[in-house]
Amino acid sequence: MSTGADRAVPAPRPVDAQAPDADSRVEAVCASALRMAATGGLTRLSIRHGEVSVELEWPQPQSAAPSAQAAPASELPACAAPGTTVVVSPMVGTFHRAPEPGAPPFVAEGDRVRGGQQVGIVEAMKLMNPVEADRAGRVVSIEVTDGDSVEYDQPLLVLAFDDTEPK
Amino acid sequence: MIRKVLIANRGEIALRVARACRELGLGCVVVHSTADRDPAAARLADDVVQIGPAPGRHSYMSIPAVIEAARTTGADAVHPGYGFLSEDPYFAEICVENGLTFVGPPPVVMAELGDKSRARELMSAAGVPVLGGSDGAVEGPDEATAVAARIGLPVILKAVAGGGGRGMRVVRDLRDIPHAVRETRAHARAVFTDPRVYVERFVQNARHIEIQVMCDDQGNAVHLGERDCSVQRRQQKLLEESPAYRLPRALAEEIGTCAVRGVRSLGFRGAGTVEFLVEPDGTYSFLEVNSRIQVEHPVTEMVTGIDLVREQLLVASGWPLSFTQDDVRPRGCAIECRVNAEDPARGFVPTPGLVDEFTIPGGPFTRVDTHFAAGDVVGPHYDSLLAKVVVWAPDREAAIARMARALGEFRVRGPYLETTRAFLGRILDHPDFRAGRHTTAMVDQLIAAGEPAAAGPGPGVGNAC
Repeated sequence: MSTGADRAVPAPRPVDAQAPDADSRVEAVCASALRMAATGGLTRLSIRHGEVSVELEWPQPQSAAPSAQAAPASELPACAAPGTTVVVSPMVGTFHRAPEPGAPPFVAEGDRVRGGQQVGIVEAMKLMNPVEADRAGRVVSIEVTDGDSVEYDQPLLVLAFDDTEPK
Repeated sequence: MIRKVLIANRGEIALRVARACRELGLGCVVVHSTADRDPAAARLADDVVQIGPAPGRHSYMSIPAVIEAARTTGADAVHPGYGFLSEDPYFAEICVENGLTFVGPPPVVMAELGDKSRARELMSAAGVPVLGGSDGAVEGPDEATAVAARIGLPVILKAVAGGGGRGMRVVRDLRDIPHAVRETRAHARAVFTDPRVYVERFVQNARHIEIQVMCDDQGNAVHLGERDCSVQRRQQKLLEESPAYRLPRALAEEIGTCAVRGVRSLGFRGAGTVEFLVEPDGTYSFLEVNSRIQVEHPVTEMVTGIDLVREQLLVASGWPLSFTQDDVRPRGCAIECRVNAEDPARGFVPTPGLVDEFTIPGGPFTRVDTHFAAGDVVGPHYDSLLAKVVVWAPDREAAIARMARALGEFRVRGPYLETTRAFLGRILDHPDFRAGRHTTAMVDQLIAAGEPAAAGPGPGVGNAC
């Protein structure tokens, strides 16, 4: 959730690689995209993965939104480092870290997760929608706190790839 | 009084509603899809929520996403704009169930008006003249043929769940009816999930005249004059004006009074439009009611001086209308041109892509409603409206001259971008338009007569507004 005055740079969809060679190709593209993004002021980053396509967008000089330029590089969590992936919210709702109030959280920073493992819940219209890790990895960081309102595509947690485990 | 309004829409109308909220001191929440990041309306918003991916049915038409966005931001009202969820009674009902004020008519009234054949029955029962046609939906080709034989050809088949020019087909030969009924039903089932169709007499050389109405919960119902929307291409409006040129004032007043009688009988609330066809002999017939703000509402605002969106928000809050019928004194003449990112030379196909120059016209009595700026992209996912250019002048001739000047001033360019700007200029110059002889057939005749080529998508499939 962001405000009109202080808008975060939107996060890209996670790179959901299925084939190992696509993996390395996407990672290489990501890395060079990141170098370009480091010049600052990026307003849009979109990554497609059949045939790999990356689109970067900077504001036009005359229509540059100051808030977008001021966004620190740390607000580009997906692809934040090669070898990581971001789990994003599938919908607008309320994020829950645990299956019920008082219960231990689904995952904590440092935990290893399997592909398909539940890592949280987004509650929308009183329905509990499970959020799953799209691949195996280790939880690097959790980007939201329990009970936060989240929007569509908002980064929830960052995973480091773990290629030693089956995806 | 409502305090914070979620705007369940995008583009220029989201910006229009956000401006009205600001002027009333109301909070506002802007929602957007991933294809509309950093929308213009967000700069006026208290909260901005990304509600879904680019396809409208998963974002702007996703009821759970909109309701959740309202709940998480503390909005207590929803303004649906036009298109998307604006005429969905189910959505209106869910808003109410979730404690949100829906800026529009009561859900039951929306449901009755959304069924175009039911609306026809109700208006007829209230004494509003309707076109000859079937009583409700037709059972099948045989009944449709019988109705056509009775009322005379040509006829128009319309989807009960259609409206706004969508889901209709003209038939000129009795032998074509069975096929046309099957096609229209199949199309209606696919697009509206309701295959029912009804039959009406098709009027060829008529003007499309619509009456703006406003009603409140205290039982006040007022009309704000008419708009002439006869300049259409395949049932999609290109240019609108008020008043309707050379429509006798007594007749305009009679149609307005009739529209008010109709909506009052339904228990309507908020802003609505009652559409009529007016034939050269002055015969007028009801077409449909749009239970929302219209794209072309600025035309009425310019001649009446009444802010319709502000009034919608006040009425939704339970306030009585801020004006009476006697206070509505339209003055002068207003014209709106819809500048779309479409190529008239290629059958008006949309031309998505980057807009690298966008300098809107200004000057006296010239209003431009747009959310675009240079550097923006016309996406492939939504309608192709770039800007609504609206002018006012004391008389029609001056308004036409002012519009021609404004369109000439408008600089909009992009690598793949074509617009309807120059085409609109040709309509303004057309002798039939100048003389007020134009009908709904004018643009199609203009195209057929060797103006820009007329290939393109099938009939009656387009934008709902």
